[in-house]
Amino acid sequence: MEALLDQTRLVKLSGPGLKMDLENKLFGQHVAKQVVLKAVKGFLMNPNPKKPLTLSLHGWTGTGKNLISKIIAENIYRNGLESNYVHQFVSTLHFPHPEYLSQYKELLQKWIRGNVTLCGRSMFIFDEMDKMQAGLIDAIKPYLDYYDNIDGVVYRNAIFVFLSNAGGERITEITLDFWQKGNKREDIHLKDLESKVSLGVFNNKKSGFWHTSLIDKNLIDYFVPFLPLEYKHVRLCVREELKARGYEEDEHIMTEIANEMTYFPEKEKIYSDKGCKTVATKVDFYL
Amino acid sequence: MESQHISMVIISVTACVLGLLLNKYINSTKCEDCDENWITLDIKGLEEDFTNKLFGQHIASEVIIKALKGSSSNPNSQKPLTMSLHGYSGTGKNFVSRLIAQNLYRKGLDSKYVHVFVSTLHFPHVQFIDKYQSNLQKWIHGNVSQCARSMFIFDEMDKMHPGLINAIKPFLDYSSDVDKVDYRKAIFIFLSNTGGDKISEFTLNVLMNGKERESIKLSQLEEELSSTVFNKSNSGFWQTALIQSNLIDHFIPFLPLEFKHVESCVRAEIASRGKRISESIVTTIASSMVYYPEEKLLSQKGCKTVASKVNLYF
Repeated sequence: MEALLDQTRLVKLSGPGLKMDLENKLFGQHVAKQVVLKAVKGFLMNPNPKKPLTLSLHGWTGTGKNLISKIIAENIYRNGLESNYVHQFVSTLHFPHPEYLSQYKELLQKWIRGNVTLCGRSMFIFDEMDKMQAGLIDAIKPYLDYYDNIDGVVYRNAIFVFLSNAGGERITEITLDFWQKGNKREDIHLKDLESKVSLGVFNNKKSGFWHTSLIDKNLIDYFVPFLPLEYKHVRLCVREELKARGYEEDEHIMTEIANEMTYFPEKEKIYSDKGCKTVATKVDFYL
Repeated sequence: MESQHISMVIISVTACVLGLLLNKYINSTKCEDCDENWITLDIKGLEEDFTNKLFGQHIASEVIIKALKGSSSNPNSQKPLTMSLHGYSGTGKNFVSRLIAQNLYRKGLDSKYVHVFVSTLHFPHVQFIDKYQSNLQKWIHGNVSQCARSMFIFDEMDKMHPGLINAIKPFLDYSSDVDKVDYRKAIFIFLSNTGGDKISEFTLNVLMNGKERESIKLSQLEEELSSTVFNKSNSGFWQTALIQSNLIDHFIPFLPLEFKHVESCVRAEIASRGKRISESIVTTIASSMVYYPEEKLLSQKGCKTVASKVNLYF
């Protein structure tokens, strides 16, 4: 009874909320925004999904992958990332030693099984996927598949989010190419990136996804690419940080901080090396 | 006098209605039993489901219907019905198992008499193979003792340890009973990707030669597969006693899907969401999937990820 109450009180999608947050808090990711909005809304409105929602977020560091996971969590679970039903794993932290692979596999399976039994609408976020051992992902593969139920537990209402930098260079290459041809960033579509990225990720030995049955069995519902951020996006990050601390928008500070960041490539200097990372600390310096 | 009469009528009507509701409630949550009420083969229903919901698998539909009809109409079957479903991912193997279960058990895959094993999940560690063997044997023995018409589905057979397969061999064999339990009314279904590439190659050849997919016969594929696939040593299945003693009743190949089948999957998905089907959207969504080879004849993922693509267009 309690679990049922929990589910209706604490777990509920806010469609308009999700859209607004994606518009206002995420900068420079027109492809990711659109895909995530449709994917999450579509999934949660489907009364009978055939498999759990599985998103794979790829891209350069500091471009918003963790942020978007936070936004998704906040618009489904009343307690956001702090919800009892949201579980985050950082592979370098939770699964550091390759020699303990068997133990990790078993623990992870138990954890997933136990939590989905308690709450069908559980969310699992796996960060640093490119550092995860290939064998570990295989262990959770069955949960992501098209099964009605496994041993009586229904996994089809759960959400799995995988974050990694894998494919980031490919995405950047393609984005740069668009820019060099004089095209607008917003003209880049998912299909321009999808197949190139998934192929690159799959064959990259450093990516946790390499040669796993996740790709073989097409268990990833959506590849979500994150483009490298430009100067103007960094400025918006600064503005957002100021707002979050209760300060007014300050053009001067925004420009100063954006100027302080380093950009690549060498000649053109368009994209921020670290995305929006370190903006928060720089803001400290100016207040 | 009249008002008393009326109130009595009202009371009795209410009692009737309540009684009916209570009866319905009891019946619907009554415990599942191993009898004709809960387990009956609805062959017409299965044929209908195959026609309306399964796309591109003419061989599988035909063979499975025949196999089930044959096995259910034979009161003296010599062994449990054992079918092995092969093919690429996304072609419908799990889906077909579900349809079979739904047309045999009232509770479908939720029936307590249907058991699904995923080898990578249930038997993950090679070092525990002995434990798995004895547990699996006990499980099968226990469940068939309780209900002779149990169904066992083994998924990811190509990842299963050969030793483990050998452990269930005795249950599939031609004997009247193994330790006092009769296994002959049970059904065993094995699912794997093994042979998928050979099947795909064959299908591609047929299509490239301008012939219809429906011209492919089971015998042609069986021949193709027997020499190559059945000898592949890294597939848990193949070098086992199961093959050698011919314990598989039916090898059922699943062909890779074409564009038109993907379109059908898209239509079915849109319909299941209660939305209006517009042919142009169906074509757009089907076109967004990845096809191979250069001529783009076959879908790489079968019908997998169709649901996610549909989300993006609504």
